[in-house]
Order: sequence, then structure tokens, then C-alpha cells
Amino acid sequence: MRKPKSKPSSSVPIRAIRGSLFLFSLLAPIAGAFPVNEKKAPESPGDIKAIQSALLAAIPKAQTATVCIDLGDGSGSGVIVSEDGLVMTAAHVSTGVGKDVTVIMADGTKLKAETRGLDSETDAALIQIIEKLPDGKPYPFVEINKLDDTKLGDWVFSLGHSGGFDKARGAVSRIGRLVRVANTTLQTDGALIGGDSGGPLFDMEGRLIGIHSRVGAVVGVNMHVPVKVFTDNWERMLKSEFIGEGQFAEKPEKGKGFLGLATKSAEGGIEVTKVGKKSPAAKAGIKEGDLLRTLNGEKLDSREKLQSILAELAAGDKLALEITRDGKDETVKLKLGKR
Amino acid sequence: MKRSNLSSASVSLAFAVALAVPAFAQQSLETNFRTTGDAVLAAFVPQRQVIQKSSAVIYDGRKEIAYGTVISADGYLLTKASVVEGVGKIDVRVDKESFKDAKVVMTDPRWDVALLKIEATDLTPVVFAPDSKLPRGTWVVVNGVTSRTNRRVMAGIISADAREIPAEGGAVLGVTLKETKKGLTVEEVSKDSGAEKAGMKKGDILITIAGKPLKEIAALGKLLAKMKSGTDVKVTLLRDGKQSELDVKLSARGDLFRVVSRNDMMSGDFSNRRSGFPRVIQHDVLGASITMGGPVLDLEGRAVGMNIARANRAETYAIPVEELRELAEGMVKQVAATATQ
Repeated sequence: MRKPKSKPSSSVPIRAIRGSLFLFSLLAPIAGAFPVNEKKAPESPGDIKAIQSALLAAIPKAQTATVCIDLGDGSGSGVIVSEDGLVMTAAHVSTGVGKDVTVIMADGTKLKAETRGLDSETDAALIQIIEKLPDGKPYPFVEINKLDDTKLGDWVFSLGHSGGFDKARGAVSRIGRLVRVANTTLQTDGALIGGDSGGPLFDMEGRLIGIHSRVGAVVGVNMHVPVKVFTDNWERMLKSEFIGEGQFAEKPEKGKGFLGLATKSAEGGIEVTKVGKKSPAAKAGIKEGDLLRTLNGEKLDSREKLQSILAELAAGDKLALEITRDGKDETVKLKLGKR
Repeated sequence: MKRSNLSSASVSLAFAVALAVPAFAQQSLETNFRTTGDAVLAAFVPQRQVIQKSSAVIYDGRKEIAYGTVISADGYLLTKASVVEGVGKIDVRVDKESFKDAKVVMTDPRWDVALLKIEATDLTPVVFAPDSKLPRGTWVVVNGVTSRTNRRVMAGIISADAREIPAEGGAVLGVTLKETKKGLTVEEVSKDSGAEKAGMKKGDILITIAGKPLKEIAALGKLLAKMKSGTDVKVTLLRDGKQSELDVKLSARGDLFRVVSRNDMMSGDFSNRRSGFPRVIQHDVLGASITMGGPVLDLEGRAVGMNIARANRAETYAIPVEELRELAEGMVKQVAATATQ
């Protein structure tokens, strides 16, 4: 095979253009950086052992924070990054904002969780675990490498629930090197498979550097979303924003949300005349004859008002309805379905 | 290049992604320095020397079909049984030497292991590690590609907890049955199944299985659910009015009737038999399926296991050294006992 003529590239920084500050930081490596990464290849049995020691030290903690995201009709992976249960995953795993999913911990404990924001163009997403651990302890989590100092050739390891959750097996670990680096994609040669999506990629100190996204046809081609994509969009994702119009998640269209009831004008609101079978309204317990007074705080003084509010909402959006049934006031919460 | 999303839940997105892959700048690590590259593997010299001497290459004619683990100086080796089964003439290469007409002395279907014998006197057997209790992240070294004279290595790490791999889809005889007035009648015998190998034929009527009389398919299913693939079961059947008894080796349903999953589609060349093992250790060295049967070494160059199945794109199984050692010693002892009878 012909070798590229270009200079060996293991010391090339992540981005093509970098300020001198970054170059300086390369010259003065941060304390604790993994020394074998400074070599193009391990040069001795000692280097090989150093890689092993780093893995043995880092994997146990990384493993307890690596979770399976059960979607019902399939599964992906994710990693907890805060003691209050915030999970980083891929957008094509979370698939939307405000969705209910189940997070499965390493020991098999299943916890309720809800998807937060996502970036549909880069395949980044956040999920919040909303159910406490049975022992009430903080969630196990890993540190994010916010220094963004990973570079081509760095040794890394992947974890993930390959092919789905398997308690007897546990999360599968794989070693690799960073073989390609671009703004919104890292490529490694540690093989991933279905079910790994959304799982974590770590540096040799056990800090999170990426989230598994997609693979090529050959075993050695595996893509990850760099953590920088997450940190750049962090606040927006925390606020449950659906970012971008990429193909990793389908943006719910406004006005396409489905409530599933028919109404007529009435005194003090609108009255339910029919509830669709298995509709979101039916699931939330809304019944024929209920008087709907307000929707998300807005007064429902006509059927047109309901329609105009719904026109601005999409599938997955949350509704709070104040209703009156048999003279009693109630609040009903539900999520719009897909039409 | 085709790229696909990994979540089985988003199949529809799988191939759309091909268009979205960003154009990479020239920041690509040369092949030589990748995990499977020569420059990296050059650091595994001591282990390569063991692989050179103790990992055999098994041929069907000129075609490599498996690797083998040398377990004695006088020519015994272990390999993956289902790969050498039915091969007319097995040739073996150990180190630089070639050995013709290896004999399959014995097989253990539960573990899918065959004991081979070649005419040799001074082979270097593997040294067994004391145990296979290796945490995730421990290096393992196996036989990678090979030439006539040189074995090369591939390295990876222990990936998962040791465990049983149940037979995919449970244990089956490998026949399609019909409930008739006469009893359970064989409609079809599956290719490569234990039933076919035992000589079962269309029209045979099953009378008993494992000594139990059977008249319903459901009852057979219940009985087989308690059994393991790779084990033998006694079948009495009626053919042309005559009763006969056969030993039928149970197969894993998933190995006989492969339902190709999306993960299989992205897995390339995986082992045909990849389930129904009493216990395995797992690593991430993803050689071709023909690289099964060779030893799995630790950094000390000791065998911690023997590769038994490339399960998929991301997982390879090996028989742990505890059981491997037992198999090796047990089989050789049994052969010796038979020889002196």
C-alpha cells in the first residue's frame, strides 16, 4: 500500500486552525496527560503495560456510568455526566425532545428518564434521569474532558451496550486510537455495533471525549460526536431545544400535534363532545362532557382559540389543561401525539 | 462508503447518513499506526514469538480455514470443531513446518472443540495461564494474519465479563415435524443439522426422545428447552416399520436457521457457530472468522484461552483457560486410554 507523503500527523491539533495559545499548550503538556500518547506508537513492553494500567484504572468507573437507553422498540447507550443524572447520548437515540425513555444502569436497575434537547445535525443529545436510585445515592458519573485537548493518534476506549443490555456481560469495552479528527466528528478504530449508539468514548484518563454515532462498512471505521459539540450547545440542550434540521432526529412540525377530541362552545370554556379512542386526550382521562377552561394558562373562550394554540404546538409538546368535571375543577397534563 | 447509525431503533436513518458525513481534513492517522497497524503490533514481540511456535494454521487444501492451539510436543492441537468437520484432508502448519493429513481424533460438540493429531515430535505447546480472571482492559494477543512462514499478531483487550453464551434460539434437532395419526412425522431435515448427520430422514416417525414417548410438537419443545446445544440426545424412530435408535446432536436454532439481523449485516465475516458455549471470555480482536481456534495470550505470553467464535462486528469469544486446560487434558487422556485398550 502506498503511504501518504505528508508528515506524520500524530501531533497535529484537532482543528486545522488554532491560536498560538493552543500550540503552547502542546509544548507544555497538562499534568497527568497520558505519556504514551506522545509517541507515534508504543515502543516497548513498558508502553504496552502503561496503556493497560491506564485502562484498568479508568474502566471500572466509566462502566458504572455507562447506561443502556431502552426505547421500547430498540436500544442505544448513554453516559451519565452529573451526579443529578444528566445523560449524554446521540440524537438518533433520543429521537426527540421531552420523550419518556428508560435508562438501565449497569446493575440492571431501570430508571425513568426524559429526553432533553438535541442537535439533529451533529447527533448530540441530552437525557435527564428523573427517577432516583433505589438506595437514594447520587448517580455514578464521569468527568467530561472540557480541555478539548485530544489529538490524532491518542489512545482511547469505547464502552457501550452492544446489541442491547446484557447484565451477565455488562457494557463492552474496546480499545482504539483516534484515527481521524474533524470539527463535528471523531473517528476511531475501536469497533462499534448497533446498540452502542450514544455510548461513551474516553481518553486514557477516563474522561469523556465523545459519544458514539455511526459506523462505516469496515470494522475500523467508527464515528463519534466530540464533547465540544455538546458543550457548545449545552445551555440550549438543557432548555430542551431541538437544534438544527439535520437527519439524526426528525423535528416535530408545528400544528401536527394530535390531541384527539371534538368540542363545542360552552359557558366558561369549551365542552368536549367526543374523545378519540386511544388518543392522547383519552389516555389522559379526558371525558365527554368535560369543560375545558384553559390550555397552558390561556383562556379557552372559543374552539378557534384551542385550534390557534394547537397550531403553534407539535407532537411531544406538553399540555396542561384546566377542566371542570361534574362541578369540580381539575388540571390534566398530557403530551401531544403524532397525527 | 456506507455508513450506518447504530441504534436498532432508527433503521430508517441507517443509510441516509452517508450523505451527511463531513469531509475530513487531512488529519488521518496512517494505517501503520492504527491499533491493528504494524508499528503498534511491533511492540508485541515476545507474544509474537509464542504465536509463531504455538499457533497452528489449519488448511483445507490451500485454503486457510482455522487456527489451532498446540497443546503437546508430540503433535496434539485443539481447534474449532465445526470448521474442520467434514473437511476431507486437513493440513497443518506449525511455525515454518508443514504437516500433512492431520487426524481429527476427537471432538467436544458442547465447546465446539476438536482434538487434532499431526506427526510431530518437538512442537512447543502453549503454557496455560493460571486463570482467566482478567478485568476489562487487560491486553490479549492472538494470531492475526499469517504467511507460509510467519505468524503475525493482533492485539486487543478483554471486553466483558466471562459468562455462558446460551444457544441462539435454544437447542433443536434440526427437523420439521408434523403431528400425524402415526405420531410425530419428519417432514424435512435441515441441512448441516444434528438430525441430518445422525441419518434422520423424511417420513421417519419419532417414538421417544431421551427415553420419553412423544406425540406432540409442543411437548418436544418443552423437553428440548431443558437441553443444551452440542449435547447428544437419544432418539428412537420408526422407519419402514422398523424401529431404530439414533444419537442426535442438538444444534442451536440460530446457527441452523440464521435470521440475519441488522447487526449481522454490519458484522462482516462472523463465525457460523457462535452460540451455545458453557462459558466464554470476550475480547475485541476482530479477526476474520478463520482466525478462530488459536490461542489467546496475555502479556506474559501465556494462554488465557482459545478463540472460539467471532460473534459479530464488536465481539469475539474465547474458551477460558480453566475449561480449555480441562478439555485438553481430558481429551488427550481419553485418547491414551483408548489406545492402550
